[in-house]
Amino acid sequence: MLKKGMDHGSKEMVEVIKNDYRASADIGLKRCMQCGLCTSNCPATRHSEYDPREMVKMVLDDNHEILDNPDIWNCFYCYTCQSNCPVNNSPCQVNQILRQKVLLKGGKSQRIYEFLAYGYSYMDFGVGSIPSDFFDELVKDFGEDYLQLKLNLEDIREELGLDDYNLKGNSLNEVKNILIESGFKKKLETFKDAVESKS
Amino acid sequence: MKTIPDKNILLFKSCLVNVEYPGVESSTKYIFDKMGVEYFIDPNQSCCTGLGHYYDLFDQISTSALSARNFALARKSNHENIVTLCSTCYAIMKKSINLLNSNKKARDEINGILERAGLSHMKYNVGDLDSEKNVFHMVEILYSKVNEIASNIKKDFSNIRIASHHACHYCKVYPEDAITGSRNPMILDEIAAAFGAEVVDWYDFKKATCGAGFSQRFANRDLSLSATADKLMALEGKADLLLHMCPNCQMQLDRYQPVLEKELGRKLNLVHLSVAQMAALGMGADPYKVLGIQTHSVPVEGLLEKIKDI
Repeated sequence: MLKKGMDHGSKEMVEVIKNDYRASADIGLKRCMQCGLCTSNCPATRHSEYDPREMVKMVLDDNHEILDNPDIWNCFYCYTCQSNCPVNNSPCQVNQILRQKVLLKGGKSQRIYEFLAYGYSYMDFGVGSIPSDFFDELVKDFGEDYLQLKLNLEDIREELGLDDYNLKGNSLNEVKNILIESGFKKKLETFKDAVESKS
Repeated sequence: MKTIPDKNILLFKSCLVNVEYPGVESSTKYIFDKMGVEYFIDPNQSCCTGLGHYYDLFDQISTSALSARNFALARKSNHENIVTLCSTCYAIMKKSINLLNSNKKARDEINGILERAGLSHMKYNVGDLDSEKNVFHMVEILYSKVNEIASNIKKDFSNIRIASHHACHYCKVYPEDAITGSRNPMILDEIAAAFGAEVVDWYDFKKATCGAGFSQRFANRDLSLSATADKLMALEGKADLLLHMCPNCQMQLDRYQPVLEKELGRKLNLVHLSVAQMAALGMGADPYKVLGIQTHSVPVEGLLEKIKDI
């Protein structure tokens, strides 16, 4: 009798997420009691179909279909859910880890492709930049003044008494070597090839 | 209150301050210089990776390996008190220190990367830094000196209604470390009050995100702008100035305000400044040569006309 109902099935996703480096060491994922405070304060829930409570429920149920749910891509990473959670869970961290899983399996390749310029900028200058694919759209939204700002930036910075922020020489090589050894550079290339080999 | 340092400070460069609101950095330097805060800006410091991290592009190990290099630089120059201009840099630094101190597997992996990259001298040892004692946000330094700064104020803010936008990655990622945490963020309001401004201490959506959402601004523009509109509409007619502490939020609210005004067909009469820009202004700094208001989208000049000399 006692054994009936005691098999909670696989908790593989829970363990994988808890052990992911993005998760806080003390993340209260298993403690989730489905109270819904996360969902009730979530800006993405307010403006889309994203539901962090439901996402956590599916993870606790080891339901891998959550990885195919397009709504997980609406999270703002604002951590409002985490800051309101009474049991120290962080749907925000869970979401980040789920998205990593999707991307590493080759999913959402077009979406990540558009952000690769940030990674290449980091490799070239030791500083990230707004992804160049979106620059025209920003100029369209922000107007000609924004383009002028970008063109005059070095003069403005000089007037403000600020030095160049790009890394050079040894420092730049150090950063590059770290990103080669960490596998980041290879990952960028994998993401790049996934889209460009199709076209 | 926690102990806030005023020396051995590494003033940590921020990618969005660099290219969007460089006046935040020059304003911070201006205040630190006047207050005798001892700091160093390291030309070898690399960016925190925060935007890339939250674009889902950087993995935690790459991010924290780069952090470890920056930590080694901070220790080498004897400026191990890291002070950030951006809330995401702040949270990324804390996360990396916690991971390096408490997770042996991650630490070994990162030290292995540093070794293979020829940087054995930069390896991280447990306890090299402490996330509570070595990572601060610029606003905390201002807050710790607020009475001193207020006594040096040369401008009259009394007819300016000031509301605040407390950045999520300062208040919500490590709320226990924040001077005023996520439940009732007030640090910016308290600074504005000390400068004699009329403080709007609460408005709907005060605690809500700016709407940037990292990738959302680009990949999901309508969703992003809906959240931004929530915030701006809640402030309509309630405030003249919104105080910021994060260049990403400042960019979202300052640059998209004219876009939303056009889409919604109404004028919001709200100006955006970082708390550092406001403090520097109050202490007599030049709006163009120190505050850098020429890089803003919403013109600041109209507000400046209302702020008279004392």
